[in-house]
Amino acid sequence: MGRKSIKYRFAYPFAIGLFLVFVLPVFFLAYTYLFKKEELSIQLIEHIHFTLLIKSIILSGTTALVATSIGAFFGFLLYKTTIRFRSFYHFILLIPLLLPPYVIAVAWKDVWIFGTNHSYLTMVKLVFVQTLIYFPLATLISGNAFLQINQSIDEAGLMLMPFKKMIFKILLPLIRPALSISFILIFIFSIGDFSVPAFFGIKTITTEIFTQFSAFYNYQTAIGESVILMLIVLSVLFFERNYLSDLPFLSVSSKGSKSKNYPLNSIRIHLVFWIVIMLIITPMGVLLRQSVSGNSQYIIKAVQMVLPGFGQSFLWAFLGAVFINIIGFIAAYFKERRHFSLPSSLLLMTFIIPSIVYGISLIGFYNRPVFNFLYGTPLIILIGYIGSFSFIASRIIGHAFQQIPISIEEVAAMMGIKPFDVYKKIIFPLLIPSLFASFVIAFILSINELGVTILVYPPGTKLIPIRLFTLSANAPLALTSSMTFVILMVNLILIILLYGIGKQLLKKYTYA
Amino acid sequence: MPDIRLEHIDFSFRDKTIFSDFSYHFKPEKTYGIIGPTGCGKTSLLRLIAGLETPDTGSIFIDDKLVSQGNKIIIPPYQRSIGFVFQDLALWPHFNVYKNIAFALKSTGKENEQAVKDLLERLNLEAHSHQYPHQLSGGQKQLLALARALVLKPNLLLLDEPMSNLDVPIKKEILSHLFQLQEEARFSMLFVTHDIREILAKIDTILVLEKGKLLFSQKPEELIKIKHPFVQSFF
Repeated sequence: MGRKSIKYRFAYPFAIGLFLVFVLPVFFLAYTYLFKKEELSIQLIEHIHFTLLIKSIILSGTTALVATSIGAFFGFLLYKTTIRFRSFYHFILLIPLLLPPYVIAVAWKDVWIFGTNHSYLTMVKLVFVQTLIYFPLATLISGNAFLQINQSIDEAGLMLMPFKKMIFKILLPLIRPALSISFILIFIFSIGDFSVPAFFGIKTITTEIFTQFSAFYNYQTAIGESVILMLIVLSVLFFERNYLSDLPFLSVSSKGSKSKNYPLNSIRIHLVFWIVIMLIITPMGVLLRQSVSGNSQYIIKAVQMVLPGFGQSFLWAFLGAVFINIIGFIAAYFKERRHFSLPSSLLLMTFIIPSIVYGISLIGFYNRPVFNFLYGTPLIILIGYIGSFSFIASRIIGHAFQQIPISIEEVAAMMGIKPFDVYKKIIFPLLIPSLFASFVIAFILSINELGVTILVYPPGTKLIPIRLFTLSANAPLALTSSMTFVILMVNLILIILLYGIGKQLLKKYTYA
Repeated sequence: MPDIRLEHIDFSFRDKTIFSDFSYHFKPEKTYGIIGPTGCGKTSLLRLIAGLETPDTGSIFIDDKLVSQGNKIIIPPYQRSIGFVFQDLALWPHFNVYKNIAFALKSTGKENEQAVKDLLERLNLEAHSHQYPHQLSGGQKQLLALARALVLKPNLLLLDEPMSNLDVPIKKEILSHLFQLQEEARFSMLFVTHDIREILAKIDTILVLEKGKLLFSQKPEELIKIKHPFVQSFF
């Protein structure tokens, strides 16, 4: 079958399907708000809480700047040096990225000065916690960029200037695109984050949208603010879309890097790592202390309250991860092997839209009798998961595709091996570590998703994040902390278990 | 043994014109060397003949059968009886030496254990049959790629600078294996190389390409005599 025929028979229908199910709701939201009513400009001005919008932009910009700087620092240490315990540090530093943001928010709520309610501290509170959550993303992105720099480039620099100067004059400028991407992604995630400001009780644009939508039933305002937030995010995305659409996120590569590694074992650097590790594990201790303080029965009660949500959460997250991987794989295949990137671009769009806005889009589009088979069922949650996270899977798998030379497929084609066999026997085994990594990440992100699910979950659905969020509104702090602690432990066990399996898989399927 | 004709080929890759109205007739049972600077179209020429790329316009015939025309593949690569040794060798990293050779036979229903064993023996790879590509030396990898390309007994072997990173003694050893196999199986060869001197004695015709144009097509002894600075730079 020729390339063009594959494109017309499979690629376009796939892209159209993605558009109709996952992207059209977003356009529909924008269309109903911007074009269905008259006097558009007056509406926008009336409905937007400008002070809140500017405050959110400043907060997210600060978070993005701080998190990117810290992330790049650790990216260098973890990917360009031979510091001892590198794997251990790497694993610990990634944990905040894999934990639900609300767990970290609840944990830090009453630590140190954050326990107070001084208004000037609210901003510091949010920036601090979001930085802690998102800096590992910058570490991953900048670390992978450092790995792409050939050893000879460092060495040519070292012939001309001292080590530190070489880092600032040569290495950092070379990874500038990665730094910009980190900044933009963290900015977008931060401004779209609902759970941390909601648990801290801080007013931001996302909490405002949720309040207007769910508490005051003021749909027009909520939609108006959603559209504005969406436009901000999409316009930011527009400038860096090319870099973003090629972002590897996580490289599970079997290929050795040719980048230069520097020997480093300074006590001071180890100390810096341990300070960050303490910042990561302190909240866990705080949660435990809060859980058992006062009444030790809270832990038991928390387990009883959270337990009913586990079955459904696991089921829907598992199904979500399966579909996310399938869609991510197909999108990656079309982008990397057929040079057709429309599916990836569509997934990028739904990935980048703040979860609260995406949730409102799904409600606005699917909440009509013709879609009752979707909207009234947990299938709408699956749509939310797939729309939100398939882009990550497509990039992890896409990056793995890039590592497999096309000649490996071509030589099989020359020998008459059927395309199905080529994929089953040659490509698929080489992709296993990346498929597993993308499945794990999709599963963890789905099981912890709050922004979309809090809006679209149908009656009778018991999901862990929703139970925690709804119960925490009226529950004593000790009970909220106990529930969060239980969720944290489950997440940690899951992460450690899957990390172990992943390491074994990587060992088994690495050929270098 | 195939007779290959390329007629009025236009071909561009990533918006860059590689060939414009290129025609050539490769005669059967011959060994051709193709030389030229980077980007002159050497690899593209092999890929067009193999059917891995299609010309924008023009036709390609193998033994008078139309195999590619315009943007269409008329006869797919695997039905052209062509073996291809890629520059990066494209060995399947998760298969051992034996399976790398046997996989194509098995997948196409032509399983033949003896044929694989014969090739392993001929190329001194027998002792390594259970090793994986990353456990082999550079020369052994080349031999494995060669064995895999020849296991289906092609009529034509395309080699895209397969020995560019090898030491001279190892190159000599591999070439001696290659030409011995060619003598026995009588397949034609198109050999893209940067260093034509290493195969000069075995080449029937040398094609010199520059910017997608055929500068010369001569027997080696005639080409050496040409006082063209560009041609001289290859000797």
